[in-house]
Amino acid sequence: MLKRVLRASVSFLLVLALAGLLSRYVFVVRGADEASSSVGEADVAVRQAFNATLDAERAGANVSGLILRLNEAGGILAEAEMALGNGNSSEAASKAVQCVEIAESVKSDADVLKASALDEAQTVFWASLTFSVVGIAVFVVVLMLVWCWFKRGHVEKMLGMKPEVSADEA
Amino acid sequence: MKLEDCKVVFAAVGLIGVLILASPTLGLVLRLPGGEKFSELWVLGPGHMAEDYPFNVTAGVSYLVYVGVGNHMGSSTYYVVFVKFRNETEPLPNATTGVPSVLAPLYEYRVFLEDGGNSDVPLAFSFSNVSFSGDQSTVGGLTINGVPFIVGKSVSWDAENSGYFYQLFMELWIYDPASNGFSFHNRFVSRWLNMTASV
Repeated sequence: MLKRVLRASVSFLLVLALAGLLSRYVFVVRGADEASSSVGEADVAVRQAFNATLDAERAGANVSGLILRLNEAGGILAEAEMALGNGNSSEAASKAVQCVEIAESVKSDADVLKASALDEAQTVFWASLTFSVVGIAVFVVVLMLVWCWFKRGHVEKMLGMKPEVSADEA
Repeated sequence: MKLEDCKVVFAAVGLIGVLILASPTLGLVLRLPGGEKFSELWVLGPGHMAEDYPFNVTAGVSYLVYVGVGNHMGSSTYYVVFVKFRNETEPLPNATTGVPSVLAPLYEYRVFLEDGGNSDVPLAFSFSNVSFSGDQSTVGGLTINGVPFIVGKSVSWDAENSGYFYQLFMELWIYDPASNGFSFHNRFVSRWLNMTASV
């Protein structure tokens, strides 16, 4: 009876130890998977932030400040990827979270900058168009007036001239 | 001067005036093609000059070079510089076909630059677990900017140049917003390193 209880206890302990080992392995694998997916999300967030910054730049915004912050996010992303490669999942995940925060703030600031740059560009465009149209109209009218005045003066000058006859000395 | 000649002069003055007055608007609407688009990648010695590069290296000593990137692509650009380490039998990138080295990168820099901007970053490296046996040298570990990597690379004695030669090289990759991916930008720089037991 005692032997049977002892054997059952040992078997139970072995099963428990095996389950413990497996669960540890599962936790480690899950930790690595989660870190890998966090780093992947950070990579996507940085790309989106850069795309938004590029759009803002194309709209005419000054993006120097955003580029500085993108460099910070890029540095952290590189650290996260290298930590992941070296098997340091917790550091990789924590760096990835930091990186996503910066990238998301850059993206939202880039969107705001783009909107204000587009507004400004539109104002500048209409101001230039108005200047050009009014300027050309005034210029053409003045040029026509000058031409009329010049033409009249020229004709009067021609009419006021006396014909001269030169004698042929030969 | 004939009246017809004066008319031509007035028409020319009118055309030039109209173009000058329209130029602020035309400048906003017309996009003229920019200059040649290219990127730069360079490596400098510890004094930010193209001199005093580390060459004879040994285990346990830290060496410093600077890796620089310049952007002339016409807009802000997102680059990745991959740092790789090879022995003489492993492949370098192929500049003719534009194919990067198949070796896995050890360290990486992510650099964002505005058009016309440049950046240079320190690359401090040291070797560990270096051994010499017969005519072979083996490097077990390489630490770059404080991050340790297991490399496990061996080279044979190069009798012609008298040394155990390894190569540290940097590849430039560029992000393409249209494809949302990185591609090798067909630029790389490298430094030969002669591993010695003591310098």
